Amino acid sequence: MRRRFFLAAFVLMCMAGALSAGRYVVPFKNVCGILASLLAPIEPWWTDIQYRVVVLIRLPRVLGAALSGAALAMSGAALQSVLKNPLVSPQIIGVSSGAAFGGVLAILFFENAFATMGCAYLGGILALFLVWCLCNGARGASPLGLVLAGIVINAFFTALISLIEYVADPYNKLPAIVVWLMGSFASASWDKLRYSAPPLLTAAALLYFLRFRIGVLSLGSEEARALGIDIQRTQWLVLGLVALVASATVAMAGVVGWIGLVVPHFTRIFVGDDYKRLIPLSCLLGTLYTVLIDTLARTLIEVEIPMGILSALVGTPLFAFLTYRLMKGEEGR
Amino acid sequence: MRAKIFVLWAAAILACDAAFAEPILVTDQYGRKTELQKPAERIVTVPIPAASMTIALDEGPSRLAGINPSAKQALKEGILSKFFPKALDLNSDIVMGEGFSPNVETLLNLNPDVVFQWGDRGSDIVKPIEAARLPVILLKYGTQEDLETWIGMFGVVLGKSERADKILAWHREERAALDKAVSAIPREKRPKILYLYRYGDGIKIGGKGSYFDYFIKMSGGVNPAEDAPSEGQINEEQLLAWDPDIILLNGFQSSLSPDDIYANKNFTGVEAVKNRHVYKMPLGGYRWDPPNQESPLMWKWLAMLAHPDTFNWNLRADIARAYSFLYSQTPTDEDIDGILRMSMNAAAANYGRFARASN
Repeated sequence: MRRRFFLAAFVLMCMAGALSAGRYVVPFKNVCGILASLLAPIEPWWTDIQYRVVVLIRLPRVLGAALSGAALAMSGAALQSVLKNPLVSPQIIGVSSGAAFGGVLAILFFENAFATMGCAYLGGILALFLVWCLCNGARGASPLGLVLAGIVINAFFTALISLIEYVADPYNKLPAIVVWLMGSFASASWDKLRYSAPPLLTAAALLYFLRFRIGVLSLGSEEARALGIDIQRTQWLVLGLVALVASATVAMAGVVGWIGLVVPHFTRIFVGDDYKRLIPLSCLLGTLYTVLIDTLARTLIEVEIPMGILSALVGTPLFAFLTYRLMKGEEGR
Repeated sequence: MRAKIFVLWAAAILACDAAFAEPILVTDQYGRKTELQKPAERIVTVPIPAASMTIALDEGPSRLAGINPSAKQALKEGILSKFFPKALDLNSDIVMGEGFSPNVETLLNLNPDVVFQWGDRGSDIVKPIEAARLPVILLKYGTQEDLETWIGMFGVVLGKSERADKILAWHREERAALDKAVSAIPREKRPKILYLYRYGDGIKIGGKGSYFDYFIKMSGGVNPAEDAPSEGQINEEQLLAWDPDIILLNGFQSSLSPDDIYANKNFTGVEAVKNRHVYKMPLGGYRWDPPNQESPLMWKWLAMLAHPDTFNWNLRADIARAYSFLYSQTPTDEDIDGILRMSMNAAAANYGRFARASN
């Protein structure tokens, strides 16, 4: 518990650090002052532009990355245990591509960031509904059946996205679609956060409170039934929450892959299969990882580096190293 | 019988004609040679700016057989559809979807003498045309030199080399004059000009090696993004860090207007926004941002905005003169207002000098 507290403090410090990093130079002292001025009235010693950079540009972006990272990692962990399959992530059950399809369709027909967000939510919910239909309603869906249904729906929406990219106007629409699909927090703003943060926070909180049930489900259906847990209901509840998280993230930042799959595994290296600890720790590590990657993406060079590239370049070696150590440890036993 | 003899006779005449006419040899920008028996009569242009360039060199669209859908869009939004209404009937099914992948069956149906295609976007968009045994001429995108090579090549293919030389002479003359005038301007007096290649979901700029970088410097500006990748994506903070004096908005995104930049609260401190120096790129015979036959007009337009005290041409008269030469048409005052996007740029500083009254 104490260790987790220290980790949380460390994550917060990293977020403060991220707020002082950027292409526009704002001294750390001024960043602290600006942040403090949000809570208490302080006579400003910083310039107006510095205030705007920190409060209007960096703060929503860091918060957006932190929230999405936390929620995605938690949903990945929950999904992997509920479906008893370490290879699933929010992307595999089709919700991300459903949400992405909704967003892309909105870019094609409207020029309005909020239409895009709204359609992303609708798309994500539609995808989950289709998975539910394929699984023959709430009755008798096995984890394997669910994953298969998810793969089918994912393929369907991916094809629809390709179709739209194919017909989109290459000057007016296609670039916006491509940038959006690549996933980036570059266009995060308070307005976007206002519509994404409530669902992300709600879903994260519910996943946190459900962590005991989720843990039991991962042990097997016999145990769960013995403990009086309605397996189907929990399963669909978790799926619904994951859909909410995936849609909210897609609505804010496009398709951000990798985090939901890898961070939970990463966390497992430290806590094993202890689900009571897995979900909270995934939350912290997901935040840390996403904020770190996003900060690198916006500060390393003059132009933005797509998150997917950095995530893979930074994440893969780290993950490979830890996996290697883990396997070596198992061998020694 | 008589008919047969006539056919044989006609065929013989045609054969002689072909045999005695000097074949035209075109070497494209990738060193590939194409031989045409006579100036091309049916031309398909896949690259977008090539359509209006053919119209300029040939003083009309009659020899175009097919054009890119986006070129058609530019014709529709710009002035050429008014000058040449028939251009809107041109076949634009020559690519699959949007982009540059050729639709070979349509091409074969159109039976062109020659197809223009991009050479710097991979062989996948070239091979299918070659496989259909259609002559292909490849274009390279980028610099003013490349543009001048295009003009020369189009002149050869259309049998209008003299006209091409005239256009080239105009480009070189304007360029030399501007280079000379600009070289006298000390570096500290050159404004920072940032070209936004995209604005909306993500911001893209004109960086290193782009035509945008070239014309900014040529018109007496400094490109703060000169070291960034050609069409790189930046964030808002980077734009604040560069703090440009002038922001140019691309002509590709039809509905993007200076008001979109003014409305962004994060940009209130930027010099270009404070002083209302955000301008939408004009659209004439083609969008003025990429290299095209009208580029000298764009250089002057930008030089007048960058150095309002130094340069004071009568741009409206220049446009009218250039158009009567390029398209044999006289634009009306309303046409020129549209080309210069007077209404979108109405609120911009220094833009009144392009208005009708000042001329």
